[in-house]
Amino acid sequence: MFGSVWPLRNKLARMNSLFVYVLSCCLLIGSTIDLQAQVNINPDSASTEEDYSQYDNLDFAADGAKRFCSPKIEGLSPAKLISIGYDYQFGYSIDADSLNRIYPSPGKSNLHPQKAQILRSEGIRLAANIPVISKTNLVWQLGANYWEQRYTFSNPDSLQNPLLLALRENALRTAGLNTTLFKPLNDKQFILFQGSADYSGDYTLKNLMPLQYLKYSAALIWGKRPHEKKQWGIGIARTYRVGELNYIPVVLFNYTDVANKWGSEILFPARAHVRRTINSRNMVFAGYELEGQSYRLWSSNLPGSAVDLNKEDLEIRRGEIRLRLVYEFSLRNFIWMSIQAGYRINYRFDVDRLASGKEIYRAFGFASKEPYVMLNGLGNPFYVNVSINLVSP
Amino acid sequence: MKKTLLFIAMLVSAISFSSFHFVDEGGDRLLGVWEPSNGRARVKIEKIGTKYYGKIVWLKEPNDPKTNQPKTDKNNPDPTLQNVPLKGYRMLKDFVYQGSDEWSEGTIYDPLNGSTYSCSIKMDDPNTLNIRGYIGVSALGRTDVWKRLAIKK
Repeated sequence: MFGSVWPLRNKLARMNSLFVYVLSCCLLIGSTIDLQAQVNINPDSASTEEDYSQYDNLDFAADGAKRFCSPKIEGLSPAKLISIGYDYQFGYSIDADSLNRIYPSPGKSNLHPQKAQILRSEGIRLAANIPVISKTNLVWQLGANYWEQRYTFSNPDSLQNPLLLALRENALRTAGLNTTLFKPLNDKQFILFQGSADYSGDYTLKNLMPLQYLKYSAALIWGKRPHEKKQWGIGIARTYRVGELNYIPVVLFNYTDVANKWGSEILFPARAHVRRTINSRNMVFAGYELEGQSYRLWSSNLPGSAVDLNKEDLEIRRGEIRLRLVYEFSLRNFIWMSIQAGYRINYRFDVDRLASGKEIYRAFGFASKEPYVMLNGLGNPFYVNVSINLVSP
Repeated sequence: MKKTLLFIAMLVSAISFSSFHFVDEGGDRLLGVWEPSNGRARVKIEKIGTKYYGKIVWLKEPNDPKTNQPKTDKNNPDPTLQNVPLKGYRMLKDFVYQGSDEWSEGTIYDPLNGSTYSCSIKMDDPNTLNIRGYIGVSALGRTDVWKRLAIKK
């Protein structure tokens, strides 16, 4: 009896062994794969040795695919997507001219020149730049900004000059929209276009100006990017950087040295900085920026003013040179802080009267010698500017 | 009994293999070697488990010009990782195929500044990827176009 049962039991035992073997294999393979996956996933660097020379002789898989140069170079300071800042100029004097070129009557004494002391001028500076199209062959970015400059006088009640009264009552504001187009022509050459429309004046939310007073600026640059650490370009700009409208040549030169320690970020004459890279999250700059705008004098019925500036078609041409040191560093990941300190040198703070509603194009005196209606003098103070920035990937 | 045992064995096998060998033909189109628009590197995208990862396999400038040694991840905010070689570094991590030629839930690491960004990938055509790195929301980001590479003909 037992003799007939043993072969069957042996057979069943063999089958069970086979089943256990198959099951073990399945689980072993599965767990090995899982373990392998975990081993490979965990480290940042791939753990397996690989012959990387096999990737030397590769080319684009698609026929006709081309390489285009990038808008950035290695080592450049990060582009700011969102910026919230504050600008503060320490005290300085202002010599406001008379308005006698408009009102020659000697009877209006409160149009006479007046000297005053500004305790501080300050204001917030907001900016946002959002990439709309980021293709290899086209990069398009849109931006918006809002700056204001408020003036605090040491003797506000003694002011009579209409310009000083306007500055006392309302901040100078600029709200603008801008766009940047980067069009690579091939892997070395590119065209860069920047345009902006600025709404600048001493307006308030309750007393906005018509859009006809928008000021348009633009720059068109052709450039080359010979390698990853250098790009240069030449072009032309329509600008209000020194207050009045000008058409000027511009030169772009961005460079990073081999060791990634020193570099330049230059868009001459608008700004030029030497960059010292402490590491990829700490940078120091030394240089200057030309800053300026044309502000419509839009305030009306200023208390104590002998004239209504709103009706006089007047614009302040403000241009200044900011010699500065800037320290930019990462606070946390993509949040960067920028601290700048420097000396603000006044170039122009004059008031121009539009000719039949049109601004006078002087071309540094070559196109027109029409005088400004107010030639004002400003002292040159030290200033600081602090901003928190969300930087672009 | 035999049939039951056999059924259980097949079931366990099926579960085991389906867990570890989930084949997603659409998602696997991402596999291959790709070149970012700056042309400075080549990235091999692989699949590990059910997710996709990309490692640097080629650098235009493989050595640090200062030391003449192979480049390492010197900008990494974690000092213990600053000596990890860039070649072989996984700069794309944890991408999951979502269908419709899109992979998301991943991150991209930029060795130039040591930052890691949220990232999504959209395949424009079989040889072109739109890689969007962003901060929090997709609008606060930048898209880079990567091209597929193949052995020179």
